[in-house]
Amino acid sequence: MKGKHLLKRRNFKVVALVAAAVLTLSACSSDSESGGEVGGEINVFLIPSPSSTSIQSFIPEFEAETGIKVNVSETPYGEAHQKQLLSYNQKAGAYDIAQFDNTYLAPFCQAKAMLPLDSYISGSDEYDINDFGKGQQDYGKCKGETLGLTLSTEPMIQWYRTDLYEKLGLTPAKTWDEYYNNAKKVQAAGFGGQIMGFGPNVSWWWMTLVWSFGGALYDENLNPVVNSKEAVAATDYLKKLLEVSPKGAITATGDDTTSKFLGEDIGAMLNYSGYYGMALDPSINKNAGKIGTAPAPMGTVDTTHLAGWNIGVPADAKNPDAAWKFLEFVLGKTNSVKYLESGAAAIGRQSIINNADLVAKNPYLPQLEIPSSSRIERYPQIAVWPEFEVAAIDAVTQVLTGKQKSQAALDALNEKLKPILAKEPKS
Amino acid sequence: MITKVSRPNLLRRKNLRPVAHLTIPTWIFLALVVLIPFFYGIYISFLNINLASFLPPSFVGFDNYQTVLAASETWSTLRITLIITLIGLLMQIPIGILLALVLHENLRGTKIFRSILITPMLLTPVAVGLTYRFMFDTDLGVINWALGSIGIEKVNWLGSQTSALFAIIIVDSWQSIPFVMLLVLAALTAISSSLYEAARVDGATASQIFRRITLPLITPTLLVITMIKIMDFLKLFDTLFILTRGGPGNATTTLGLWTYKTGFVFLEFSRAAALGVIITIITLPVYFLWRRASKGVR
Repeated sequence: MKGKHLLKRRNFKVVALVAAAVLTLSACSSDSESGGEVGGEINVFLIPSPSSTSIQSFIPEFEAETGIKVNVSETPYGEAHQKQLLSYNQKAGAYDIAQFDNTYLAPFCQAKAMLPLDSYISGSDEYDINDFGKGQQDYGKCKGETLGLTLSTEPMIQWYRTDLYEKLGLTPAKTWDEYYNNAKKVQAAGFGGQIMGFGPNVSWWWMTLVWSFGGALYDENLNPVVNSKEAVAATDYLKKLLEVSPKGAITATGDDTTSKFLGEDIGAMLNYSGYYGMALDPSINKNAGKIGTAPAPMGTVDTTHLAGWNIGVPADAKNPDAAWKFLEFVLGKTNSVKYLESGAAAIGRQSIINNADLVAKNPYLPQLEIPSSSRIERYPQIAVWPEFEVAAIDAVTQVLTGKQKSQAALDALNEKLKPILAKEPKS
Repeated sequence: MITKVSRPNLLRRKNLRPVAHLTIPTWIFLALVVLIPFFYGIYISFLNINLASFLPPSFVGFDNYQTVLAASETWSTLRITLIITLIGLLMQIPIGILLALVLHENLRGTKIFRSILITPMLLTPVAVGLTYRFMFDTDLGVINWALGSIGIEKVNWLGSQTSALFAIIIVDSWQSIPFVMLLVLAALTAISSSLYEAARVDGATASQIFRRITLPLITPTLLVITMIKIMDFLKLFDTLFILTRGGPGNATTTLGLWTYKTGFVFLEFSRAAALGVIITIITLPVYFLWRRASKGVR
């Protein structure tokens, strides 16, 4: 019995030694493959979207190449940011990477919830920040620090039906007056003149027009200025556009707007370029091959309303180096074409915008090149934006449904916004 | 007499004691999922929790209640809630009674008709909301297509307050009328047929039978239905959210939806909790009336 035990003990030692050696060797091999810097696993928080699907398509290759295990959790948009805020508030360290809407950059920034990525970016030839246009390099910046990489570049652009425009001898509008006149002519020919989302997302279009007409939503001291003559003119113009839109546009969301434009006979649409994925889907786009794009018409000020996703590393991430490695792998220059081709909304890299093969398949790509002369306007970078937006939508809807005149509605809105903006911490 | 009555009661109590013990886990569970969140909700309504602020919460007394009660949205959304409730009740209860009376007659095909009528109750409100949203679509909806085929111009159903409220009530009624009908039908079945026979022998007309016999006997049930429906309307959310999202603007936003927006869109958790407490206070009298009406039914 004793001899047996001794044998067993000896066997155990041998097995333990072999196991240790195997583990050490495998760890070394894994390290050597990943450059000997990072390992382990990362938890990635994504929001269901074409960008999210595309990111996930890179995981097997990344895991095989680096040995870093990638766990993904997806949360619908409606509760995604609340869940992130809750996690960051509790410093739970639940996520190493998180996708977020640019509208949440401000609250994340105020809460110091995201890790500044500038040191990673400046040291990365693979990410190559200089491949982005000057204005677009700042898309994920708050108070001088980059808290999120650009996950999609989605300027508000003009979409038009090439067949209808050709038939009626029209060209894409360069000014808002031209845009209205084009729509009127298309409507007179028996089609829908133009479409925008006048429904629950009307704020997207309203602020685009306010900026383009030379107005602003608030001044540098965070006092609301939505009742300026420029904002009133922009709101009047928005109402005027309703006359040359299909009837259902009054309740249309961003998605509805695109579906209607792609599924019906409507002359033009103003919408984010990120929706172009829907145009590539033959089950949605009944007008394939007849969709043209052009820059949004210009008002008194040359502005570009730029939207899109961000992705960053939470400040409480447990494995930030591995997280950066993954972001660099997916969003770096090498995989940028593959990223677009796997269905994501395009990122405005110069190398993508100027790629002739890609432009042939995605004719909207040149619109992502925002001229340096155009002032880029992002979603208002304030934490109280959701409350601001709901109040603005209500006021603009009062005008669109004819219940109030623009000036009266915007005067009332301006008053309503004062206590809301007063809650915003002054930086 | 007293001892005769109290002895069986005592016996019954003794017999019930072990059964009562068995319900303790359920009471603990209920306390965990209902009472603790309820009192915690009241507690946070006196703090200033904003999920986006990352500041430690502090006690603010009745500030949230003052803000909420001073906000025009609270009153406008309460008004919308009451409009939906009132018109909804006026539509659903008479139609429910009517259908129950027809089914109670046991005419040919009643069984099939009853099965068809209760189908809407089996569907999830989100699916119903989505379906109706497409049906009410101004440009592509089947309702406008049908109206167009008889020469009526397109109606922008969800584009104005009046028509959008009407659409919401229609959708809710479509789902709720079967519920009213089933309860009324059960109440009708409980009425003794001898009462009707006696009334007929006395020469009562159908209208008189309904007003003097049927209606008084189903009134307790109708009261219970009314109370349940009022509570349903006060917490109406899913169909409304899918159908209009409270729009155009805030034109169809109910108090419940406004509370949701305050909490989960503006991230003002304490303010939303204050709104929740206000909704509870509004609902309390309805609850007590419901308790009274339920006793009547028993």
